[in-house]
Amino acid sequence: MENFVTAFDTTIDNALFWLTDHAAFIFDGARALLKGLFDAVQWLLLLPPFYVTAALVGLLAWRVLGLGAGVATALALAVCAAMGLWTETMATLALVIAATVIALAISLPLGVLAGLMPRLDRALVPVLDLVQTMPPYIYLLPSIALLGFGPATALVATVIVAMPPAIRLTSLGIRQTPHEFIELGQATGVTPAQMFWKIRLPFALPSIMAGVNQSLMMAFGMVVIAGIVGSGGLGETIYGAIRTLDIATSINASIAIVVLTMVLDRITQSLARTK
Amino acid sequence: MENSEVLIDCRSVWKVFGDRSREAIGAITGRGLGKQEVLREFGCVVGVSDASIQVRRGEIFCIMGLSGSGKSTLIRLLNRLIEPSLGQVKVKGRDIAAMDAATLRETRARHIGMVFQSVALLPQRNVLENAAFGLEVQGVPKDERNRAAEAALAKVGLSDWMLRYPSELSGGMQQRVGLARALTSDPEIILMDEPFSALDPLIRRQLQDEFRQLTKDLGKSAVFITHDLDEAIRIGDRIAIMKDGVIIQTGTAEEIVMNPADQYVADFVAGISRLHLIKAHSVMISAGQWQGAVDGLPRCSPEADIDALIGQITETGSDAIAVEEDGKLVGIVTIRNLLLGVRGDADASAH
Repeated sequence: MENFVTAFDTTIDNALFWLTDHAAFIFDGARALLKGLFDAVQWLLLLPPFYVTAALVGLLAWRVLGLGAGVATALALAVCAAMGLWTETMATLALVIAATVIALAISLPLGVLAGLMPRLDRALVPVLDLVQTMPPYIYLLPSIALLGFGPATALVATVIVAMPPAIRLTSLGIRQTPHEFIELGQATGVTPAQMFWKIRLPFALPSIMAGVNQSLMMAFGMVVIAGIVGSGGLGETIYGAIRTLDIATSINASIAIVVLTMVLDRITQSLARTK
Repeated sequence: MENSEVLIDCRSVWKVFGDRSREAIGAITGRGLGKQEVLREFGCVVGVSDASIQVRRGEIFCIMGLSGSGKSTLIRLLNRLIEPSLGQVKVKGRDIAAMDAATLRETRARHIGMVFQSVALLPQRNVLENAAFGLEVQGVPKDERNRAAEAALAKVGLSDWMLRYPSELSGGMQQRVGLARALTSDPEIILMDEPFSALDPLIRRQLQDEFRQLTKDLGKSAVFITHDLDEAIRIGDRIAIMKDGVIIQTGTAEEIVMNPADQYVADFVAGISRLHLIKAHSVMISAGQWQGAVDGLPRCSPEADIDALIGQITETGSDAIAVEEDGKLVGIVTIRNLLLGVRGDADASAH
C-alpha cells in the first residue's frame, strides 16, 4: 500500500515536472496574458487621482442605491486612501475585476449549456460540489507550480473559486422557465434561438445576476487568501502584517477590504434586482 | 354554416401518456382494449380517446368537460403542442403531424393563435410589446408590428394601456391582452384554453360577450375550452361534451339541451336555463294579431333569445317588441308570449 502511495505521488510530481519542462511556453504565455490583464485593469483604476475614483463610484452608488449610500461610499473609499492603502485597494479591485470577468466568460456560457442540456448539468454538479468543498487555498498549489509567484497565480485560483456559483445559478435560471411560457413560445411558432433569447433568458436573468454577485463575493474572499502567493494588493498587505505582527496595518487593510466588499456587493445586488 | 370549409379536421385522435404508450396503442388498435384495461396492463393513461371534431370557417366550437376530461389535451393536439399517439389532425387540409419543424412553426405563427388560462404575458415587456410578440417572432419590422398590435389592442379596448406592464393590469385586462396578442398575427383559427376560468363571474360574462362579438366581426374560427356549460352555450355555435377522454356528444346548444345523448349529459343540462335557447321566431305572433302601433316598438332579430327580449322589455318599458328580418317586420313578441316562452311553451304561444 505504501509503495502504491509513493508511486502515485512520484507520478504526479513527474507529470508536473514534465509539464513545466515541456509545456513551459504555454504556461509562460498564460502567465503573461493574465499578468497583462491584471496590469491593464490596475493601471486604469490608478489613472485618475483617488478622489475622482471615489467620487465616481459614489455617484454610481447614488444612482442605484440612493443619496445616503452614495455619500457613504465616497467617504468610505476616501478612508482607504487616508489610511495610505489606496494603491493596494485598487490592486485588489483590479484582481477581483479581472478574475470575475474571466470566471464569467467561462461560467455563463457553460451554465447556459448546462441549463439546456440536463445530461451536462448532471455531469457538472459533482465537479462543482468537489470544487466548492475543497479548501480554497488548495487551488494555489497547482497554479504556483505552473505559473510561479505573482498575480497570475492568484488570478487562476480565484477564477476557479469564483466559477461554481455563476454556473449553478445560470443553469438553474435557464431550467426554471415557467412551463406556460414554453408553451406560449411553441404555440407562437418561435425558433429554438428565439425561444432562448426572447423567453428563457429574460426569465433566467434575475438568477444569473444573483450568480454574478455570488461569484464576485467568492472572488473577493479568494483574492485576499491569494496574498500568500504574492498577489499584490490588500491580501499581501495583511499577509505581511501577520508575519511581522503589525496588528494596526492588518486592521487597516481589513477595513479597506470590508469597504470594497460592501460597496461592490450592494451595487451589484441592486443592479440584479432592477433588471 | 354546414357547407362552409372545414379548417380543423381531427379524425379518431388518441393520446396515450406513459412509458409504454407505444405498446398500449398497439393493444388498443389490435385487441380493442379500453381505458381501464390499458391503465391496468400498461400503466398508461389515456388522455384522449378516439376523438373526432371538425371546426368550420367562422365557427366557434366549444369543448366542454370537467377537469381530467382530456379537453386541454385535445386542444393541444390541434396545434401539435402534444403529439397525437394515433389518428390524424388536418389544419386547412394539411396533416399537421407530417409537417417539418419550419412548416409547423409557420403554421402556428400565421394560422393558429392561442390564448391560455394562465394568460402567459411576458412580465418584462409592456402591453404593446406583448401584443406584438407574434409578429416580432415572424420578423415583421417594428413599426409595422406595433401598428398591428395597436389595432388589436384597440379592438379589446386597451388603447390607453399600451405602455403599462402586465403586473399593473387586472386579470380581465390581462386576458384581453392575451386575446389581442392572438389577434395581432391575424390567424384564421384561435385556440382558447379556458381563457376566462380564473376571472370573476361578472368580468367573465363581459369577456364572453366581447369575445363572441369580436370573433364574429372578424370572421375568425375558434376552439374554446371550458368546464362551464353556461359559458359553452353563451359562446359556442356548436359544443362537444367530453368525459374521460371521450367526446360523448357534439351539437348545437339547442340539440344538446333538447336531446342529451346519455344520462351524463342529461344531468349536466338539467339545470340549464332555456332562456338563451328559445328564440324570438318561435314565440312571436304575426303582426296582424297585434292591435297597437308598431312604429314606437323596440326592434329585435328573429334569432334574439328570450333573455335578450326580457332585457329589452324591462329597459324600454314597452309592452311588445317588433321582430325584424332584413329590415322587414316579421312578427311581434308580447310580454304574454315571453312568459309562455320562459315556461317552455314555445309552440303554444306562437299562435
